[in-house]
This record gives sequence, C-alpha cells and structure tokens, in this order.
Amino acid sequence: MAKGARVRSSSPPDGGWGWMIVAGCFLVTICTRAVTRCISIFFVEFQTYFTQDYAQTAWIHSIVDCVTMLCAPLGSVVSNHLSCQVGIMLGGLLASTGLILGSFATSLKHLYLTLGVLTGLGFALCYSPAIAMVGKYFSRRKALAYGIAMSGSGIGTFILAPVVQLLIEQFSWRGALLILGGFVLNLCVCGALMRPITLQEDQTTPEQNHIGRTQKPDFQRVSPCSTLTKKWVQTCLCCSLQQEYSFLLMSDFVVLAISVLFMAYGCSPLFVYLVPYALSVGVSHQQAAFLMSILGVIDIIGNITFGWLTDRRCLKNYRYVCYLFAVGLDGLCYLCLPMLQSLPLLVPFSCTFGYFDGAYVTLIPVVTAEIVGTTSLSSALGVVYFLHAVPYLVSPPIAGWLVDTTGSYTVAFLLCGFSMIFSSVLLGFARLVKKMKKTQLRFLAKEPDPKLQLWTNGSAAYSVARELDHRDEQSVALTVPGPSPT
Amino acid sequence: MRALPDLPGLREPPPLLPRLLLLCLLAAVRRSWADGNTTGSPLTSLPIREEMMTKYSNLSVESHNISLTASPLTSLPIQEEMTTKYSNLSLERHKFNVSLTEHSSEPVEKNITLERPSDIELTCQFTTSGNVNSINPTWKKGDEQLKGYRVTATGNILHTQYRFIIDSNKQMGSYSCLFEEEKEQRGTFNFRVPEVQGINKPLITYVGDSTVLICKCQHCSPLNWTWYSSNESVQVPVDVRMNDKYAINGTNANETRLRIMQLSEADKGSYWCHAVFELGESQERVELVVLSYLVPLKPFLGIVVEVVLLVSVILFCEMYTQKKKMHTDDGKEFEQAVQLKSDDSNGIENNAPRNRKNVSYFQMIF
Repeated sequence: MAKGARVRSSSPPDGGWGWMIVAGCFLVTICTRAVTRCISIFFVEFQTYFTQDYAQTAWIHSIVDCVTMLCAPLGSVVSNHLSCQVGIMLGGLLASTGLILGSFATSLKHLYLTLGVLTGLGFALCYSPAIAMVGKYFSRRKALAYGIAMSGSGIGTFILAPVVQLLIEQFSWRGALLILGGFVLNLCVCGALMRPITLQEDQTTPEQNHIGRTQKPDFQRVSPCSTLTKKWVQTCLCCSLQQEYSFLLMSDFVVLAISVLFMAYGCSPLFVYLVPYALSVGVSHQQAAFLMSILGVIDIIGNITFGWLTDRRCLKNYRYVCYLFAVGLDGLCYLCLPMLQSLPLLVPFSCTFGYFDGAYVTLIPVVTAEIVGTTSLSSALGVVYFLHAVPYLVSPPIAGWLVDTTGSYTVAFLLCGFSMIFSSVLLGFARLVKKMKKTQLRFLAKEPDPKLQLWTNGSAAYSVARELDHRDEQSVALTVPGPSPT
Repeated sequence: MRALPDLPGLREPPPLLPRLLLLCLLAAVRRSWADGNTTGSPLTSLPIREEMMTKYSNLSVESHNISLTASPLTSLPIQEEMTTKYSNLSLERHKFNVSLTEHSSEPVEKNITLERPSDIELTCQFTTSGNVNSINPTWKKGDEQLKGYRVTATGNILHTQYRFIIDSNKQMGSYSCLFEEEKEQRGTFNFRVPEVQGINKPLITYVGDSTVLICKCQHCSPLNWTWYSSNESVQVPVDVRMNDKYAINGTNANETRLRIMQLSEADKGSYWCHAVFELGESQERVELVVLSYLVPLKPFLGIVVEVVLLVSVILFCEMYTQKKKMHTDDGKEFEQAVQLKSDDSNGIENNAPRNRKNVSYFQMIF
C-alpha cells in the first residue's frame, strides 16, 4: 500500500505538510485541466498546417477530455495498488511523452493518438489520486484546501493561454508542443510531493489485506502449479477490487452518481454556447470574450471563497446542503438565461453562474468524502469523474442539434437548467428520506442511544454524536459547557 | 470539475453575395458628353472613340452601377454619334461623386479599388455663396491637365463632370477636380488595384519540415498569382518546376498557397506574392524563418533538468524526515512501553477518575 515508512498520524494534520499537498494538487490541476483547455489554441495552426477544417481538429480536445475522464478509475486503481507518488509520476511521464511525440506529428491521426489518447491517459493517472490525497490530509479545512487546489484550472488557463500563444509565435506549434511537454513533466514533481499518510480509519484495511495475503503461502505450498497461482492472483485481485469498490453499493453513493450525471449534462454546454448566444442577441465580439473572462475569473473566486465559507463552523455540517444549493442556483440561472437579451443583463448572469460553478466544483470531492470516507475516496473520485465523461461528450452536440432544429437557444438552455435542478432536487430528496428514516429508527428503537440520554438538548446531542463518530473523545471537551474535566 | 470544451474559433461571416448584374443602360439613357471646352469641336475626339469602340466591342456584358449620389445634370447638345458608338460597349460603369464647399479647409479624397477596365464618371459638386460663373473648375491627373470635362451650374451649386475609360495601368492614379486657384478647393479620386493580404507575423518553421504560405485577396479575383522570393532587394521568381520542393495551388480564385517542402536554412527570407490584374499588380510580403531543432530544445532541456532536481530534492527530504521520525518513534515507543507497564500496575486506580467524571455530569443534569 503505502510506499516507504509509515507516517504515524491518527488524524488528518490539517496543515503542515498538508499545504505542500495542496500546492502539489494546485500544480496538478494546472498541468492537466489548464493544459487541456489551452490545446484549443493550437487548432488554428493545425488547420493551416494540415489543411483540415475545424471539426476534424476539434476532435483532439474531445479525445483528451474523454480519455482523462474515462480512465479516472484506472488512475485511482493504479495509485491504490502501487502508491500515489508512483501513480502521479507515471502519469506525468506518459502525458509529457504524448506531447513530445505530438510535436513530431506528420498527420492529424498521429495527433489523435499522441496528443489525444496518450496525454489523456497520463492526465487521468494524475488527476483523481491528487485530489484524493488532499482529502486525506485535511478534515477541518477540507473545503478551503479543495478550493485552493481546484482554482488551479482557472488560474492556470488565465496564465497559460497567453504563454502558449507566445510560444507558438516564437517556436511555431511544434516547438510549443515540445516545451509544453516539458512543462507537463512538472507533474512528476507534484507526484514526489504526495507523501503517503495512513489515517486511523485506514488501520483496519491493512489487516484485512494481510489476512488475504497470508493465504498466499498456503496455496504455493499446496501446488506449485502455475494455473493455481494464476487463480490465486485473480482471487486476490478480485478481493481487493471488491473491497475497494464496495462503496458502489451504498445507496448514498448511487444517488450521488445519478445526480452527478445530470449535473455534468447541464453544466458543460454553457461554456460552448455562451459566446454564440451573446453574439446572437447583439453583443459584440469583444464584449462576448469579456463575458467569458468574467466567467473564468469569478469561477476562481468562487472556488476559494466558497471553500473558505463552507469551512466555517456554522456551515461545516451543511456542506451537502451548500453543494445542492450551488447546483440548484446554477440551474435557475440557466432558466433565466433565455430572458437576458443584452449585455448589462448578461454580466450579472456570468458573475452568478461563474461563482456557483466554482462553488460546487470545490464541494464535489468534499461531498464524496463525506459519503464514502477517506479510505475509498480515491476510487470514489475516480468513479465520479468517470461519470462526468459521457455527459461532457454528449451534451454540447445535443444542445447544438437543439439550437439548429428549433432555431433558438431557449430549448437547449431550459433543458440544461432542468437537468441541474433535477440533480439538486434528487440529492435534497435523498437526504430528506435518509433523515426521516433515521428519526423513525430512533423513535422505534427500544434502547435509545446512551449518548443521547446524557443531554437534554436534542440538537446538541445529535451534533455531539456526529462529532464523536469522527473524532476522539477529546472533542467532548470542546462541546460540553460547564466544569472542565479533571 | 468541468472540462471546458473550448469555443470554436468564431467563424467569419459568410462572404457577401456577388452583386446582381444589371442590364447595361447605355442604349436606353441619353447621354450628354462635354467634348473638351465649349469651343472644342466634337469631331476631333471621334477617331479616338472609334478606336476604343473596336477594342472593347468583344468585352463580355457586365454592368453595375455604383452611383453614390445622383448629380443633377442639365443636358447640353448631345453628340448623337457618341451614343450609337457606345451602345455596343459593355464595360463596367462606375460613378463617383465628391462634394465641396468654399469653406472646406482640407482636400477631400476618395479611394477607389478597381479590378477590371471600366467606364468611369467622376463628378465634383461645389457649393458657393458667391458668383458661380466666376469659378473655373479644372481637372488634373497628377500634374497633367485634362480635357473633355463638363461644367454645369444650378443655383449656387457648380457641377463638373469628367468621364473616361480606364483600361490599363497607365490610366490608374489620382484624378483631381480643382476650384478656385487662390484658395484651392480640391477633390481627389485615387484609383488603385485591390490589395492583397498575407500573414503579418513571420512564419516559423523547422529544418526538414514543410510549410504553406498563403496570400488572400478579399472580394476580388485576380487573373493570375505569381510568387517571388527575395534576399535583400532583388526579387527572383520561385522555380515552380521543382515539384518536390515547391507546389502552388489555391482553392479559390481569391487565394493562393505556396507549399515549400524540405526546408533548409537557405530558404529563409522574404517571399512576395503578386496578384496580377488587368489594371496592374499588387503584392504582399510573407516572411519565412527557418529554425533548427536545437532552438526549442534548449528551454525543454532546462525544464527537464529543473524537474529532475526538484524531484530528487523532495524525495531526499522525505527520506531524511522519515529517518528522523523513525529514530524519534523508536524513542517514543520505548517511553510508551514504560508508561503502559506503569499504567497496568495502576489500572484499577485509573478507572476511578473516569467514573467520577460521569457521576458529576449526571449530578449536573438531574
């Protein structure tokens, strides 16, 4: 599991080396998400050089995005079985190899393979393990840490876009791809930063693994036949995979997965169709580009500030609610969009949508961690990002088809808005049902929870019970008023 | 986390539809021509007109009227012969108008792009408060005085018209109408061939690579495109016979692409594309820079060195801190073992304080 010596800590440090992990994850998001977006700057060059039209060159971007998201589970499997450091370093090497080979390409098909598949695979190996690592190192300030880490994509795009343009002007697209490949090699540095940590809740799993592994010498002693050892390998692998992905059967996770599907379907077309929509209502090219930059900058602000906000004590227990509030608000913005027909109306829309878009992006890993716990966080994130892939691929073309057939953007935007609202409503409904079931159970149970008996204030009891679930007994001292324990 | 399927490059607006061809109106409209000044005889200019007629009688029919403002004409005695002779002519007909007042401080200019031989009618309109009859308008091409223009007056406005045919490069240039020699009021019409657009920035390529140089001309179709390469000042035509090196093709008439294969350092420099029209040529420069692979390799290797250094430093730090921790952990484990032993002996006593704690809290509530 963990490479090298164990770091003996029983609870997330919430600081110290954790901030280096955040810096590493920040760099990972820059090198993966921002570089993916900047690939589209090369399209004009590819079109002139290979004399192809826009649709053929745009495939490269779709392939990178799709492969990054589809192979996200693979990334979490690799980092769980080898180590986070090795997984991210491997991903960095793969991605930079893809970019370097792409600089020697002689046809668009070569670019699909190198720049598309190889680089996408490399990014997939880095992305979800890095995010999972942040979750392991933080608990109290988790949302803020995630906010800072995820803001890398926005800030990275902001900085990289003019830099890539400059590189293309100085060195043409071949030289620019080569240097970008070198830049992406910094993923190896991020990988080195990801020191493994074993948490208290992780202590159970090494024992189970050990039990599984003790069966190995028995098998070998019984029959040295190669077929049986192969069977052992398969059963061991099956065992570990079964254990790793046991969260898939949790009802909470299934609900989250379905809502993520709808949410991903809703959020992607805006970034493709905001500018054409703005142009169609009479906004000029520069103003439309300005709308997009506002969206990007406010996205970054939303990432960090919402992360800080949801770490405050008052909102900490309501992160789930904040998440579905952010998604729901974005859906509402979508519904209002067809009514906004001029620039003074579109600017506040950009600000609102951008802010809550950044907000829910920060909270996705937090909410996932709350549901599955930090042990399976890496695999769970892999699955969550995997579920992003198909809607991202499918949603913009469907929206485009709707725009073409109906002749206006209204239907497309309404569909996306309802999709996001449905996602948020589903989550709210599921949480409501869960709460009702819990109160029913407590009502019906003959032996009430002994901790509840101690305190007359019901809500304080609930929050104390929750705290005790997650922390040591020392936390009782924090919530109990009155005489301090001797 | 969302992927930004980035914006498609904003597409260019669809090309303007070509203007509908109108029927030639020459036969239907009675023209009035001023043949020189009022004293000039119509017959002297006839032979020249005849020449022109035979030259252009086989031109294809096309006529469009780009009339900017209509100028009220009072018809003078018309040369009937002229109309019959011109009824067979089918040239493009263009009218251009310029308005001046006596208070215009700056000369008024109009830039006109022309591709094909055309029949041009230039009109200058001058508004004055004084006596119209005292002003003598003249026409000039450059410094050369022109003849054959018309002058009419209505109220305070003086019109002067000059009609001519542009059929070769010699007739392109600047035509001016002048009023009042002392305080010169001048209107100028500048005739030029359409301009060609290339790429403004130098094109960067590498040794052994191939590249495409593009020249475009908006809303025009030249007869021919030619490419020249130049080192310093002399322009040398590109040798297109070398098929494995150069290839010229263009998808539309208004663009040309020069493809150069197997680039070497000697290929760098300026390339000129010439668009050949009937009325002249226009050219544009494209600069080509050929680099060797070492040029981007240096920053790349710099970054690789930086990455290797950082990775080794971080991994070394990690091993160092873990070694330190293992030493301190060993010390701690020893201490904890000692403490546990002492705790075991005091086990019974330790439970008491906890019970006491719970008891006190119970008492607090009930």
